[in-house]
Amino acid sequence: MNSIVSISTPLGKGAISIVRMSGKDSLKIALKIFHTKSKEIKPRYMCFGKLEVEKEVFEECLMVYFKAPYSYTGEDIVEFQIHGGVLLAQKVLERCLSNGCRLAEAGEFSKRAFLNGKITLDKAEAIIGEINAESEAELNSSLKITNGKLAQKVEEEQRKLTELLAEIEVSFDYPEMDYEEIVKKKIFDSLEEIKAENDRIIASSESSLYLRNGINVAIIGKANVGKSSVLNALLGEDRAIVTDIEGTTRDSLKESFLHKGVKINLIDTAGIRQTEDVVEKLGIERSLDSIERADIVLFVHDGSDGESEADRHLNRIVQGKNIINLINKTDKPRVLKKLKNEIEISALTQKNIDKVKDKIVDEVIDKGIDANALILSNERQLAILKKCDEIINEILQAEEMSGDVISMLIKNLWKELGKITGNTENEDIITMIFSKFCLGK
Amino acid sequence: MEEFDAIVIGAGHAGCEAGLALARMGHKILLLTISLDAVAFLACNPSIGGTAKGQLVSEIDALGGEMGIIADRTALQMRMLNRGKGPAVQSLRAQADKNAYHTEMKKVLESEKNLYLRQGEVVDISLDGDRKIVTTSVGLKYKARAVVLATGVYLESEIIIGKTREKTGPNGFKNSHGLSESLKRLGLELLRFKTGTPVRLHRRSVDFSKMEEQKGDEQIGGFSYMTKAKIANKASCYLTYTTQKTHNIIRNNLDKAPAISGEIVGVGPRYCPSIETKIIRFADKERHQLFLEPEALDTEEMYLQGFSTSMPADIQKEMVESVIGLGKAEIMRDAYAIEYDCINPTELNPTLELKKIKGLFFAGQINGTSGYEEAGAQGIVAGINAGLYLSGKEMLILKRSDAYIGVLIDDIVTKGTNEPYRMMTSRAEYRLLLRQDNADLRLTEIGRAVGLVDDERYRVFLEKKKKMAEIEEILNKKVKISEKIVNFYKKHHESAPKESVKYRDMLKRVNIDIFDIKEEFGEFDDCDYDVLEKVNINVKYEGYLKQQEEDIEKALLNEKVKIPDDFDYSTIKGLRQEAKEKLAKIRPVNLGQASRISGVSPADVSVLSIYVKKAKR
Repeated sequence: MNSIVSISTPLGKGAISIVRMSGKDSLKIALKIFHTKSKEIKPRYMCFGKLEVEKEVFEECLMVYFKAPYSYTGEDIVEFQIHGGVLLAQKVLERCLSNGCRLAEAGEFSKRAFLNGKITLDKAEAIIGEINAESEAELNSSLKITNGKLAQKVEEEQRKLTELLAEIEVSFDYPEMDYEEIVKKKIFDSLEEIKAENDRIIASSESSLYLRNGINVAIIGKANVGKSSVLNALLGEDRAIVTDIEGTTRDSLKESFLHKGVKINLIDTAGIRQTEDVVEKLGIERSLDSIERADIVLFVHDGSDGESEADRHLNRIVQGKNIINLINKTDKPRVLKKLKNEIEISALTQKNIDKVKDKIVDEVIDKGIDANALILSNERQLAILKKCDEIINEILQAEEMSGDVISMLIKNLWKELGKITGNTENEDIITMIFSKFCLGK
Repeated sequence: MEEFDAIVIGAGHAGCEAGLALARMGHKILLLTISLDAVAFLACNPSIGGTAKGQLVSEIDALGGEMGIIADRTALQMRMLNRGKGPAVQSLRAQADKNAYHTEMKKVLESEKNLYLRQGEVVDISLDGDRKIVTTSVGLKYKARAVVLATGVYLESEIIIGKTREKTGPNGFKNSHGLSESLKRLGLELLRFKTGTPVRLHRRSVDFSKMEEQKGDEQIGGFSYMTKAKIANKASCYLTYTTQKTHNIIRNNLDKAPAISGEIVGVGPRYCPSIETKIIRFADKERHQLFLEPEALDTEEMYLQGFSTSMPADIQKEMVESVIGLGKAEIMRDAYAIEYDCINPTELNPTLELKKIKGLFFAGQINGTSGYEEAGAQGIVAGINAGLYLSGKEMLILKRSDAYIGVLIDDIVTKGTNEPYRMMTSRAEYRLLLRQDNADLRLTEIGRAVGLVDDERYRVFLEKKKKMAEIEEILNKKVKISEKIVNFYKKHHESAPKESVKYRDMLKRVNIDIFDIKEEFGEFDDCDYDVLEKVNINVKYEGYLKQQEEDIEKALLNEKVKIPDDFDYSTIKGLRQEAKEKLAKIRPVNLGQASRISGVSPADVSVLSIYVKKAKR
């Protein structure tokens, strides 16, 4: 059986994260990335060493090896205990994946444990619910904004491939028919297109960007509405734990905090701080830019005041953005009419500030999915796209390849792509053949 | 009451293979047919093989069946389709002499010592313990433990030509009346399918000068691994086209076409539409191609492929006369559509045994398939399994990775079909391994194990394998680079390696094949073309073959997990309702089959695997 890997601890503020591998190659894979001075790896003993998380970047790490059958799954297990934080765990996971592990499916550790007789059926049954729930959640995609788009792209690419396959296959199954046979150039061109699209997705990997770079949030509002205090309330005590994970110099315009394991960036904070009174003059351009970059706009209103000309102006500017209306100054009687997607807060008393943080995360990430699942699905998608590119390259490079092999590889490609959306059974080729071509005896 | 070990009902392509398999396995067989003149009758096109179907015929042959041998013996011409598109999709297609095919098959049946061929129409099947009692229309009764139903398109069949409907079988043979009702009484759900056949024309009325002649390949071998001689080119086919006039005639008379006006209720195949359907669905196509094929050497009748219709006979005449070269065509037989009863194949196990009744097997068009080859393929499997059933042995299930036959049977029993099912290469996921050329390597051992492969065939097979091993050995021999080798590479536009080289490495080059090596270096002189071709493909496609083998290995993990017959899906927590219902209906024999049922998700399979493994403990 393949070795599988997963991040076993919930991600977020925890001081450590555990990345766990199970399978006969676990130790072999572990020792490719883990360097220790210990002379031998003794089962069930902690072992200190360094983990190469990127080329020549090392992190301190503890490793434990459980030798089969004395482990949870009954297979060889290796656990890495590393410093907490989303990105580090993700990087370690990536390293395991690129060294021959495959991402564990929902409930797979437990399934293996059951099959190896390590846990009882009762216990396994409890996990079965999870297998279904999680795989379903994964298919329903974890990122509202990006995954919808990705699924759409995948479907489109699959449809293109199916059309291509129908054209190739019809020439196999109906060689006597007088259709112009599909030329290699057309196949190659279509594949190049798909590859270019994949590469764009991989490069931008939007869902990944949320995790690496966080959710960008802009705070806007007319003068004196309390943007600055909202900013401070949001940063609050969390500020201390914000570290710059990417290792770049901190952008003076950006302050960040973690919530539910997801980084939230308050952008153009410098602008807010400096231009509290002069939105119209100095800050306007800067504000426009920050709105442009924002995934979420926090629009701060004065609840004790009616809608002003400045509010209307700002409303026009943020049209089409994902807006959360914050009604500030709720210690005073409410004058402002009810707004869409609003939260009543008080920057002074911290009222509903946590609700705002939840809302920011919920707007981008489906409810009920933690950052853990999110990273896993994201990593899985990237791995799939990369595999797809490999297959395309294989076809493009072998010019002398015969039609039957090209078709086989395109079918593999179709299947691989479909893993993203869970659609890996192509029953449409034959339907497509008959709808596109006039055939028969 | 006369008792046999098994009774086969129907002597079409499925029935003949089933009967022969049973008899050759040592069982005493009664083979009943409505008409002895309809034995192994090629009711539609006078051809055997074609894409994917050619593979089926070679697979039947490798298992020890008869279709390939007789097709080779009665071929009027043979062609290898899809040359140049890769070995995976190459298929043999024979133009068969329909009269000779019938006569030859009948002779083989008659000379089989355990087989009793008899005319008789079965009108009822009933159960008596583990015995089945079969009653014919004249009141004769026979008894057997195993029965194979291979009734083809005869069940309550009706021929339709325009307004005319006649309750007959194909080509005016009597249909089967009463057996359908009997099957319903046994608890079977029946479907109504439809197919059709085009006109037959008199050769002397055709202007061949306006058509393109198509000959068979020269120097071509047959379907059967036992056929030594090359297939001679005895007759030609001709390519012609419909005209705008044809299309106009059809359009002006659509109200008279039963298939279009809704008079035909049976579901027809998409891959075999009538000419009127083609013209409606592909309105912008200016012309449709048609082939004229010889029906037999001893007749002037010719088959007009591509011109299947159920239009009234007078319109048919107008239509035919508008085709290029057919202006003066004499129609000898009208085209017709035929409707018939068939069963829902999901009621069968992959052994082709009915789930509900042990010892009752189904094969051929009664299972909702189409085609002689598909029928023959099911026939031999049903025959083998009826035989194994009689001797109390484990039945044979060919996997999707073993044979096209495996794909065919798995498809119909797992997914069912809503039109007559035709084999296509696109349906096989392991196409690169399921080739025409290697059917013998895939299946001879299986045929031998069940007792169908005789000593002579087995000897030839073992010899071939030995030869292949010898060739492989030579391929691995290292040879020093000489001027001769450098020139050889140069001649084939390849750059030569520096020091030493194996023939195997040469073979991996795009522009060099095993026959080039044979010619240049005088190796493999005592090897047949067939053997060399196999090795050539094995080496050239090594990487891709390996890839498919790995895929198969993965798939086999699920295939090996058997699900007990009496497994209760309703009690399983964690299975979605839809999955529970589908699983309970299809009752898959293993996890692999379960995973291919539509509506069963990978998560369902995952849950199921835990319970199945638990049940095993």
